[in-house]
Amino acid sequence: MKNIFLKAAAIGCAVMLSACGKKKPDEVTPPDGKLDKCELRFSWWGGDDRHEATLNAIKLWSEKHPDITIVPEYGGWDGWTEKVTAQLSGGTEPDIMQINYDWLITMSPDGEGFYDLEKLSPELDLSGFSQDVLSFGRVDGTLNAVTVSVTGRGLFYNSDVYRSLNAVYPRTWDELFELGGKFGEKGFYPLDLDIQSGGTAWYLAIVYVQQNTGRQFITMDGQLGFTVDDIKAALDFYKETEDHHVIRTIKSRTDEDGNAALYQSPEFISGNVAGVLEWGSSVGKYESVLPEGVLEAGPFLTDGNGNSGGWMIKPSMLYAVSRNTKHPDEAAAFMNFLLNDKECAKVLGTSRGIPASSYAEESLEQSGMLAGLAQENDEMLEKLDTVTISPYMELSRMKEFYNTAIEKVSYGTADTDSAAQEMYDSITQYLEKIRK
Amino acid sequence: MKKRTYCNPVGVSRFTGLLLISPFILGLAAFLVYPFVCSFLLGLTDYDGIRPPEFSGLENYRYMLKDRTFRKALGVTVKYALILVPLKLTVSLLTAMLLNAEIKGIGIFRTAFYIPSILGSNLAVVIMWQYLFTSKGLVNQLLSMAGAPPVSWYGDPDKAVYMIVLLRLWEFGSTMIIFLTALRDVPKELYDAAKVDGCGPVRGFFAITLPQLKSVIFINLVLQTIAAFQEFNAPYMITGGGPMKSTYTLGMLIYDEMFRYNEQGYANALSWVMFMVISAAVAVMYAVSALMRRDEE
Amino acid sequence: MKKLPLYLLLTAGAAVMLYPMLWLIGASFKSNDEIFSSVWFIPHSVDTDVYKNAWRTVTPYNMGHYFMNTLMIIVPRTIFSVTSSVLVAYGFARFDFPLKRLFFALLLGGMAMPTLVTVMPLFLMWSKLGYLDTYIPLTVPYLFAAEGMFVFILIQFFKGVPKEFDEAARIDGCGALRTLLYILIPCIRPAIVSIMVFTFLWTMNDFLTPLIMIQSVEKYPLSLALRLSVDSTGQDYEQNKVIALSVIGLIPSVTVFAIAQKKFVSGITAGGLTG
Repeated sequence: MKNIFLKAAAIGCAVMLSACGKKKPDEVTPPDGKLDKCELRFSWWGGDDRHEATLNAIKLWSEKHPDITIVPEYGGWDGWTEKVTAQLSGGTEPDIMQINYDWLITMSPDGEGFYDLEKLSPELDLSGFSQDVLSFGRVDGTLNAVTVSVTGRGLFYNSDVYRSLNAVYPRTWDELFELGGKFGEKGFYPLDLDIQSGGTAWYLAIVYVQQNTGRQFITMDGQLGFTVDDIKAALDFYKETEDHHVIRTIKSRTDEDGNAALYQSPEFISGNVAGVLEWGSSVGKYESVLPEGVLEAGPFLTDGNGNSGGWMIKPSMLYAVSRNTKHPDEAAAFMNFLLNDKECAKVLGTSRGIPASSYAEESLEQSGMLAGLAQENDEMLEKLDTVTISPYMELSRMKEFYNTAIEKVSYGTADTDSAAQEMYDSITQYLEKIRK
Repeated sequence: MKKRTYCNPVGVSRFTGLLLISPFILGLAAFLVYPFVCSFLLGLTDYDGIRPPEFSGLENYRYMLKDRTFRKALGVTVKYALILVPLKLTVSLLTAMLLNAEIKGIGIFRTAFYIPSILGSNLAVVIMWQYLFTSKGLVNQLLSMAGAPPVSWYGDPDKAVYMIVLLRLWEFGSTMIIFLTALRDVPKELYDAAKVDGCGPVRGFFAITLPQLKSVIFINLVLQTIAAFQEFNAPYMITGGGPMKSTYTLGMLIYDEMFRYNEQGYANALSWVMFMVISAAVAVMYAVSALMRRDEE
Repeated sequence: MKKLPLYLLLTAGAAVMLYPMLWLIGASFKSNDEIFSSVWFIPHSVDTDVYKNAWRTVTPYNMGHYFMNTLMIIVPRTIFSVTSSVLVAYGFARFDFPLKRLFFALLLGGMAMPTLVTVMPLFLMWSKLGYLDTYIPLTVPYLFAAEGMFVFILIQFFKGVPKEFDEAARIDGCGALRTLLYILIPCIRPAIVSIMVFTFLWTMNDFLTPLIMIQSVEKYPLSLALRLSVDSTGQDYEQNKVIALSVIGLIPSVTVFAIAQKKFVSGITAGGLTG
């Protein structure tokens, strides 16, 4: 009697649970090779320029394909991840989505979360992308998404301040450390590193170690490439930048800026902090708070012996197709239009960064739409032997590990040995859990 | 089974009450029981929001016992609630008494005092707090004028929580409004009588206002305690939980686990712990208030 | 002038309360660098273009459209919420019935659970029922006294009205509902008004639930439309526009509060909250 009761309870729980969480996914609709009349939902996040450009691109599409209506769904970045996560667990996501790099891991852990683009339809032409760039969108070998644009973090400096101090932009790590002294005498800082959502502090530290050792911090398939000693070396490097007055300590940075981003900080606007490490695709924010032309791109740091490795790139965003879409052919056609169409490329401009598709890039180049800091940064990066950031490295929990370690080292509540060991253990444990 | 007697007025059946609360009962299954049961069950699973949940028993709760961040967040939240709630009730009540004055233009003042609550966690508030509390901010300038050393508000793990407390104190509008609404119902004759007896305003406050407002103080106490334990927005905007997690509340932890780390199973388990803590606190308040009432009688 | 100190005190307090609001309005005319380098609220120059652009938005609709959307949520929500909360609170405050304690515990329990975890199951439920992208998930729950806090407040206020009032009404031949309508509601009218105002203000600010439930930009409420152009990950960064938007978003709330504040306090003095 008791047993039956327990069993009933267990079954009840299982039934309830299926009403609370995600069910087993439905069958994928295969492409049928023709473009039918239908409605497609397309979602993205962004700012006004991106919204405007994309809405215009959709208008252009509807002139060419009046049968295939695109329903746009868009908004700001705040909450967008939450929204898409909810949609995916309810199976109500749009047919085509702009996605963030780390979503590949969180939303498609086994490569099954999105449509397999190689089975999608010949309507999607991938010949404009190098194999390298395509591989960014692969999860477990399945092509889940196509890279819209590639970006990397570069160094940008306040040229007014550098000129007034008679300083040149550093080319090597040693020169960077020397600048600390020079700037420190006047109470200035040559650079800023943070432990906010961007986490540039840890980023620069691993670039340094990657350049020295040739090992990649987190590999593309989610393994920790660094040893404990490598992590310690990175933390030591960070501590040294603080000690050499290259950057502010976390405490004085927090005291001076609160929780604000650097481009919202009076210290940066007034020039007391004269440099920033930022994605080429978002440096515009820093440019806009300084007088025009004052922010300049600086060289990527090397060890002085011709070793310029270790700097990193990643897709700034990707497009994916819902695995639940009922219109794979049409979705493929629209995605192809967004990525490759020359006319569309001109309408979209650089609202999603410099296009990764060679067709789109060519079109922008011909019409002279490629210029500015983002482009300069991009060109310099192309000459380097870059490392591709693993999506695993971008996971929020991982960033939490980096920032915790840096904060401890900066506040002096842990030495670099123990902080490195702790970080090593947490990362190994977490990656193991995530990869399963 | 002993038959319970219902103490209703003569002629009122025990179903009248049930009928009145029927909207609540009808919605119970869909809007309360269903999400609660879901949350409880998901708390027993490993669930990333994408793959179907996997039953993992008490694993989440076992992990919680080892999770240092959880312990830290629980400590921060309890400390925050203990500081904020009494202060907020006091400030709200005193302000409500001021705003209860019958003078010209009081409506404008009432609106002005409510505006911070409308601002919520608006960007303006974030930037204002920066102007006030950063190292060169207004507060430190005032301190240095008074000859005191500057305080590291944002950067010192022992100080940051006070900035959050101050923000929520400044946004006391809703609490104040509930007090104000009730204050108008305190019969003026009581004060007049007290004045005749030679009662000053301070004794009037303790002898008349407080006892008259008992019930509303209790409402606000319960509501503010719940709000304080669920605090998320203020630290999220002002400090981001830092420095050194000193303003990282349970609400922030649940949010992070739910949406940033995609540990929905664990987030649900954490929510149940938050639920239990709040329930316990409210139960204690009910017990104490019942005791006090009995003492009086 | 005995009242002068009181006026001074209130004015000083009001200045502290209002300053961020003033600064916000001033900042909407400032450049990015001026915003973060000056605590003074008066801008160098005033150019109303920022408001025109913010009002127009880059979407096919202007802010007026989004405000109307919000009203389409607020009006039913307020009606539903007040009606159901008053009935339920009346039941709890004045009557005894089976399982009363259990129901009351459930009511309180609903307040203690963070919305963050209840929003996901509810999303799945509405999704299965096919009501996503409508205002039903944002309004219908309030038919069932979903805001436990309101019921809780009203119960306490009902308890403050002496029971003799009910008895007098009953002797006059009033039933339970008529007693509620003609005797009790007038007594607690200020509390009901405050609940209406809270509903308005909170719905204006409500972000996560509409974000998840509403898909079409056309149906966005104001709170979503206001954040449409905020992208911390992008190039584009016009702080003054973001600020102008938040000013636009604050105007309805401040107006409603200013109009309603008189009603908070016009309760009958004979009642008295003596609980």
